[in-house]
Amino acid sequence: MVNVVKEIQARFSRHDDFFFEEEQKDKMPFYLMGFNTLIDLAKSNLYVRQVAASSSSVNELFINLSDQLDVDTEKLIKAILEGKLVIVLGNGKRNAIVDPVSRNLRRNIDKPQSESPLQGPLDAFVEDIKTNIGLIRKRLDTERLCHSSHEVGKLASRKLSMLYIKGRAPDTLIKKINKQIKQIDTDIETVDDLNKYFGQRSSIVSHVFLTELPSEVTHLLKKNRVVLLLDNYPFALVFPNLLLDMFCIASDRNYPSLLAYALRTLRVVGAVINVLLPALYVAIVSVNPEILKIDLALFVSESRRGIPFPALLETMIMVVLVDLTLEAIVRLPKSVGPTITMVGGIILGQAMVQAKLVSPLLVIVVTAIVISGSVVSGIQNSLYIRLLRYPILILASIYGVLGVFIGFLFTIVYLASLTSNGIPYTAFRIRERGTQNES
Amino acid sequence: MSHRLQIGFVFIILYIGLNHTIYPDLIFQLTNTGHWEVVLCQGLLQLTLIWIYIKGLSYFPGQDVIDIYLKAGKLIAFIILIPFVISLTALIAYDIRLHTEVIISVFLSRTPYWPVLVLLFFITTYIALNGLGTILRSSVFIFLIVIPLMLFVILSSLINFDWHNATPVWHSSFDFLMEKKFFYLMGFAAFLPLGFMAYKTKLTFGFIFLAWVCVMISFLSVVYIPLFIFGQEAVMTLPFSMIRAISSVDIRWFIFNQQTIFLALSLIGFTVILNAVLLWMIGRIMHKMLKWKKVKTSYWIIVFSIIAFIFALFVPSRSWTDKWFLWSAGAQVYFMIVIPFSTLICGFVMKRGRVSYEKG
Repeated sequence: MVNVVKEIQARFSRHDDFFFEEEQKDKMPFYLMGFNTLIDLAKSNLYVRQVAASSSSVNELFINLSDQLDVDTEKLIKAILEGKLVIVLGNGKRNAIVDPVSRNLRRNIDKPQSESPLQGPLDAFVEDIKTNIGLIRKRLDTERLCHSSHEVGKLASRKLSMLYIKGRAPDTLIKKINKQIKQIDTDIETVDDLNKYFGQRSSIVSHVFLTELPSEVTHLLKKNRVVLLLDNYPFALVFPNLLLDMFCIASDRNYPSLLAYALRTLRVVGAVINVLLPALYVAIVSVNPEILKIDLALFVSESRRGIPFPALLETMIMVVLVDLTLEAIVRLPKSVGPTITMVGGIILGQAMVQAKLVSPLLVIVVTAIVISGSVVSGIQNSLYIRLLRYPILILASIYGVLGVFIGFLFTIVYLASLTSNGIPYTAFRIRERGTQNES
Repeated sequence: MSHRLQIGFVFIILYIGLNHTIYPDLIFQLTNTGHWEVVLCQGLLQLTLIWIYIKGLSYFPGQDVIDIYLKAGKLIAFIILIPFVISLTALIAYDIRLHTEVIISVFLSRTPYWPVLVLLFFITTYIALNGLGTILRSSVFIFLIVIPLMLFVILSSLINFDWHNATPVWHSSFDFLMEKKFFYLMGFAAFLPLGFMAYKTKLTFGFIFLAWVCVMISFLSVVYIPLFIFGQEAVMTLPFSMIRAISSVDIRWFIFNQQTIFLALSLIGFTVILNAVLLWMIGRIMHKMLKWKKVKTSYWIIVFSIIAFIFALFVPSRSWTDKWFLWSAGAQVYFMIVIPFSTLICGFVMKRGRVSYEKG
């Protein structure tokens, strides 16, 4: 056996799924190599044989099978790792990298799992990056949709694609992102790994907005954004993430515009309620009861009669419990999930009120915040909104209504101070446009 | 949103942040009738100054006041700007102290001064540290939140109006122009920050004029709401007459006991932005003037905010706050005259110099 084959075999001696098969054409032996976990061996073998039968010589067989001929050993090894079939002639003089019949390791295009578009297209991104780009290309059949692909990572390389519409996304932004992608020198496992390269910020708001829906992505591409796709990640990363993404969803536009605006306003109200309501409860109950009309103030204090905890502790307990329930429902298998809902509902709702641990009013408040927290688009958005209410809660317990207001101001200023590549998070849209022509 | 629009919002916020506390009280002490004449006179005088200021700034596109003075000479810059910084620090201290008094009188009657001061100084410094971009952006949101509250408060006060309280409408003499209190009244203006924001965008007079009209409406409303509700005789004896006027309003169907909380909250929103802008100006002036490389703008902001905090903390009583606040507002008048005129003169001289250089 020749050196090339021996070297490859030695490299993969610890890989039990590495196969090595010998075939013959015109009494000349050639070897097929690859991973049987990535390649459908039977079908690929059949394919090679069919091509061999129709080729007149070994040389022609190699030419027919592939256009990547006679490459060096390192490239062969890399190709094997990527799931390609490598063919080497018995005397080692010729080799080829063939696209085999792969094992089906992909999910089919399916309904979205974390978003539920109402009266909108129902296909969602999958793990395969090419399928994802295809889903976008199918919707945007313009030559101005540009695609630049990169391979990033140190240990294992990962494909990263950047899509934008030429003439829409600002040129400076594209240049900056390209530069930042080229600086990547570690493995990109998660979105947060990637986030770091877009500017260091220890913030609860990500630089990118995640979405599963190709229709959303095409809409955002037209709105001058840049879209990044990671291999084996079924979400598109829209850069930059803007505050309004939380409230405006592309499929809103399927409704009459007045309805769409009403829906968006509702989402804003939901988010504000979610941040402020528990803090307002604490402020009104413990610091500023006098701001309410007397009968209302009496009603509030009546509902808290006999409750041993101070208002802050009472609210904290409930809010944390509810957040725990939400987290537990996500973690649990689907068959157990409803149990948690039921137990949580009974314990949080009934038992705690009956045991006089919390006031019935607080249960209503907590119900309101759970519902209102889920109206914004994107799971990570609703997560960070949930986090924002804790500091306001503490301020409210010290300063009352003033604390609520100042906490809210803090939140606004904090969000306004965030920028990604010079584009503020609170910008309403990206006004700057790129040039259409190559310069 | 364009910088120009944002600056317009900030302009309105800065003015409203100043004018709700002592401003109406001063007007009531100045005249018994025809209050609108005083407001309008003061407004027109300010408008003239703003026009001069913008005219002066237009000679230096893309530059702020500090750059202009540094160009004219370091000595001039020091002579004009360092006292300005001191007066700004005093203004911040007494303005925050004044609003602390308002807060305590409205909804934290059992709380001592210092925790509220700490909170207000903390948020003000935090906003200032984030820089002008953040101030401009967040002020748009604060404007959108607070203006509906204010409109609600103003409209709800309509139910207590007695229109005869404002008669007679005319006031024939203009004696008030000569009084010392009118001079203090001039201090209730916040157009000087415009010159420090000028590097962001080109300011145009038309735009500022629109903002000025909004400001005038707000000035008239803070004067006339207490007047319509209480009448001139009563209003003269009341401190914080606007706030008292609003707290007299009682709406049956409303869940809150009094509307004053909304007024106080919106005032805080505006005051916080006002003082953050002033602190940011101080930081910028100090940083550009001294150019010590290791000292960042943020350090200056923190240092001056601590100084202002100490000032504010050691004010012995209410009457002192009023007096000192008036003085620091009065000191502003000096800068309101000096800075626009000197900018205009600088611009004029430089333009002449450039023309003669090109001719020669």
